[in-house]
Amino acid sequence: MNPLAFRLGTVALLASGTLIVVLTFLMPLARLIGLSFSAPSGPFAAYAQLFSDDIYARVFVNTFGIATVVTAVALVIAFPLAFALTRLSRTWRGVVFACVLLPLWISVLVRTFSWMLLLERNGPINRFLVASGLTDQPLALLFNHSAVLIGMVHVLLPYAVLPIYAALVRIDPGLLRASEGLGASAVTTFLRVLFPLSLRGVATAATFTFLLALGFFITPALLGGASSLTLSMLIDGFVSDRLDWPLAAAASVVLLAAALAVVAITARFISIGAIAKVHP
Amino acid sequence: MTGRLALNGFVALVAAFLVLPILAIVPAAFSAQSFIRLPPETWSLRWWGEFFNDASWRLTLLTSLKIAAFTTLISVLAGTAAALGIARSGPRSRALLTGLFLGPVVTPVIVLAVAMYSMARATGLVGTVTALVIAHTMLALPFVVLNVGVSLDGLDRRLLLAAAGLGAGSFHIFRTVTLPLIVPGVVGGAVFAFVTSFDEVVLSIFLAGPTVKTLPVRIWEEIRLEYTPVVAVAATLMLALALAAAGASRLLSRR
Repeated sequence: MNPLAFRLGTVALLASGTLIVVLTFLMPLARLIGLSFSAPSGPFAAYAQLFSDDIYARVFVNTFGIATVVTAVALVIAFPLAFALTRLSRTWRGVVFACVLLPLWISVLVRTFSWMLLLERNGPINRFLVASGLTDQPLALLFNHSAVLIGMVHVLLPYAVLPIYAALVRIDPGLLRASEGLGASAVTTFLRVLFPLSLRGVATAATFTFLLALGFFITPALLGGASSLTLSMLIDGFVSDRLDWPLAAAASVVLLAAALAVVAITARFISIGAIAKVHP
Repeated sequence: MTGRLALNGFVALVAAFLVLPILAIVPAAFSAQSFIRLPPETWSLRWWGEFFNDASWRLTLLTSLKIAAFTTLISVLAGTAAALGIARSGPRSRALLTGLFLGPVVTPVIVLAVAMYSMARATGLVGTVTALVIAHTMLALPFVVLNVGVSLDGLDRRLLLAAAGLGAGSFHIFRTVTLPLIVPGVVGGAVFAFVTSFDEVVLSIFLAGPTVKTLPVRIWEEIRLEYTPVVAVAATLMLALALAAAGASRLLSRR
């Protein structure tokens, strides 16, 4: 085939997909960025309002705080789980892997609704606590920070496990045996061999979890209370309740910039493609 | 030895934490009472009858299936073609195109939702099936491109050269060699596109209207107010479909 025909063929193949991305992703995004500079009192008024208000500052801090804690908790659970996965027999590895992958297929809404039923005032967890005498009265488990944390860790944990597992399986088991054989304790082997070699996977897991946590909407909106307002819920409020498009657009641009900054900072240590590949 | 036991116990606990809470909605759907209490004191199929006898619930289920079907069709056709195009490109345009197609994956969902909503308002598409199909296609396309891309990467180039050496034309090679070999990737991408659309909530909340509502949107609206076990029935249906899709995709990857 001549090179020109080959090129034309490639362009034809890419045309429909590229058109979809441009029309449904890039154009709406460009429009949103434009809207953020369209406040009646000046192009930067929406941003000025966003950064001068104490309430909004608290929402920023809250959003980043929740994302940080969720990421930390997810990593602390994910690392030993991923390590155990490399040591399990084929059959058990299959079973545990199924448990990690299965939740990814199920809508976040369904998973969050389950937690609402479990954490309710008259829910099974409270009834167990009261029946066993651990507490006198049902606890307020729902509509607060800890409910948001539990729900978000539950949803995001698989995204942390998979990249760490991918890094751990590539480590030569001979290195760990050598470390032990040379007299290193389990802690030293972990700190000086296992952990450094898996750092890339841990960085990917952290980026991934943090990125998703930053933009979380459904789970904090349903499980959180008045004090657990996140940036996503704030943006929703600007659009749905206050109909303030410039403010909603400016807050969206800030959230997008934060997400892109996270990707830019960590891009050298991780593979962005891997982010999408951990999907089942 | 105790370390090993502790680690296995920890794994069992985390596996249970990942899977068991999700199942809480299932007993809630089989309650005989008019409110959700776990576990229900008396059991019945009352709320399943309630769900399927209610025309508005049935309509949301049909709308969800219809939108997921359209989304799957469009994103599989465009995504497969795009993956083939990316595989034929040079390394530089390859990186650029991959970045372009992955854009929606790294963008926070609420940002996509607000951007799309503003666009849909400007074009008068809010509350239409078209708007939801467009939004879901944007989300599903990257996963089809990735899935097909992975099968293309695993393709043995020598087979294509052999076919060309035997005198087959490029379309003939595509139809008889490339396509059969990437079918698992295409079908895997299709299953994932369907589930992405069927599960989607955030963009749908903004784009749905009083007459066009998907199942997750209706569930979202109900659980923010007072809800009955009929919502658990709807959620259980979503769970069942997701499990079926997960099973289908596992069978495909085994082959």
